Amino acid sequence: MTPTNLAILATIVGAVVLFGAATVLAMGWAVRAGQFENFDRGARSIFGPDEPVGEPTDAFPRETD
Amino acid sequence: MGVTLTPPTPADRAQAARERREIDSSCRGPVLHYAASAVAWLLVGTTLAVVASVKLHSPYFLTGSEYLTFGRVRMAHLQAVGIGWSAMAGMGGACWLMCRLSRATLLYPKLLHVAAGLWNVGMVANVLGILAGHGRSVEWLDSPPYVAPFLVASIGIFSVWTAATFVRRREPHVYVTQWYILAAVFWFPVLYLVTVGMIFWVRSTGVMQMVVNWWFGHNYLGLWLTPMGVGAAYYLIPKIIGRPVHSYYLSIIGFWALALFYSWAGIHHLIGGPIPAWLATASTVGSMMMFIPVIAVAINHHMTMLGSFHVLRYSPALRFTVFGAMTYTAVSFQGSIESLKDFSEVAHFTHYTVAHAHLGAYGFFTMVMFGLFYYMIPRLTGREWFSARLISLHFWCDAVGISIYFVSLTVGGWWQGRMLNDPNVPFGNIVEYVRPYLFTRSVAGCLMGVGHVAFALLLVANLAGWGRKRGIGPAYFVAPAGKPAAGEPAPV
Repeated sequence: MTPTNLAILATIVGAVVLFGAATVLAMGWAVRAGQFENFDRGARSIFGPDEPVGEPTDAFPRETD
Repeated sequence: MGVTLTPPTPADRAQAARERREIDSSCRGPVLHYAASAVAWLLVGTTLAVVASVKLHSPYFLTGSEYLTFGRVRMAHLQAVGIGWSAMAGMGGACWLMCRLSRATLLYPKLLHVAAGLWNVGMVANVLGILAGHGRSVEWLDSPPYVAPFLVASIGIFSVWTAATFVRRREPHVYVTQWYILAAVFWFPVLYLVTVGMIFWVRSTGVMQMVVNWWFGHNYLGLWLTPMGVGAAYYLIPKIIGRPVHSYYLSIIGFWALALFYSWAGIHHLIGGPIPAWLATASTVGSMMMFIPVIAVAINHHMTMLGSFHVLRYSPALRFTVFGAMTYTAVSFQGSIESLKDFSEVAHFTHYTVAHAHLGAYGFFTMVMFGLFYYMIPRLTGREWFSARLISLHFWCDAVGISIYFVSLTVGGWWQGRMLNDPNVPFGNIVEYVRPYLFTRSVAGCLMGVGHVAFALLLVANLAGWGRKRGIGPAYFVAPAGKPAAGEPAPV
């Protein structure tokens, strides 16, 4: 195997290992941290007391003033 | 900002609004740096696009200068809009979204200014270098060799900054938009470094170079721009209409399915080329598996919007974002079908593919970014948009422009492919046949250019402080009948 081919193979294998390991680690962390446990809470996490569910934030002027 | 299960008290509202405003103002400098730079590159890219497009049906246009030959102008256009506008718009939006979703004020603003500055320096060298003849004939990696260090340094800083903000977050839940952004800022540096390394440092050649080239080209869209665009839409649509995403479970499935399948799909660009059959087949399988995340996103966006489509009339941000989200479904379905070998026999290596690429990069990504800017910038500058008419002009020019563009090149490209497959049709006849379609493309490009100028004027006016001061309320597009427009007192 030529040095060029070896470098290409090493890069491909390295990239696959990096991507794969990162995916496994991220999923493992998410499961341990309970990120997949309460989907309703997840969906509502972008709302808050100042911009609650039910209040549009880019229209209906008088309702959010 | 936490979960709201009971009606908030006025004190809670005031406190949460203060916190949100504090986060938004901390983002102002760096995010506007990215946003203004992005719009500047959009204008440069649009000008180059129109020149390149006209040259295809009027080949004697601007022939007196070697700097403006089709090959150089077309490469410079791709870099200006693909690496300049798209990446900077995505990074600027990602800064703001990460801070808001992490409930963290923006860290190290000077570092982000340096990152944006490095990207800009790289882009100036990129576009001017290509026009001067230093470009390289590797699609999506056309930039001269001296550009990569600037882009690598910039994205390196940006990725580390994103990770640092995530670590410092005060919101324990990781919203799906954050998953997309975190993935994108991890995937893109690896993708870029591996590709530049394999093509320009190790100097792979021939078939290997093509394979690496299209692994990058397709994944630039799928693992960098798509996560930014879909992530932004997952924030904007629920937030604007005030309704949680239809199925959060589906949104997570969609994200992980994209992570699993997208990177396989790029090699379908080489179907019919001299690559191993298994490689093309594996890529086709990956492309077909992309139906899973795309259907998940399509169901989610549509069902979230169901019953709220009337809001499109009032919200500029929603109008652009929903256009982009619907286009995402269409272009992704089309992309999967295009990976089939029988279909590729006709559509491949024709203008059909160009139409598809623009539907994705423009109809989906760019429109979502416009939506994000319309939502985000008034919250950063504290000023409403200067003119609802200009916003309307921007939307209709872009929406009609990309529609004409897509239809003309799709029809022209399909028949171009049919004729190319027929040995009895002389090549000159095919060139003549596609000319009207290419002319229509130029008209569509000019229309989109008008929209971009309108958008740039709006941005300049907003940054110059010409818009009305806004309170804590929304940015208005059309005030509902009997209600005041932005900044005006309520009717007594």
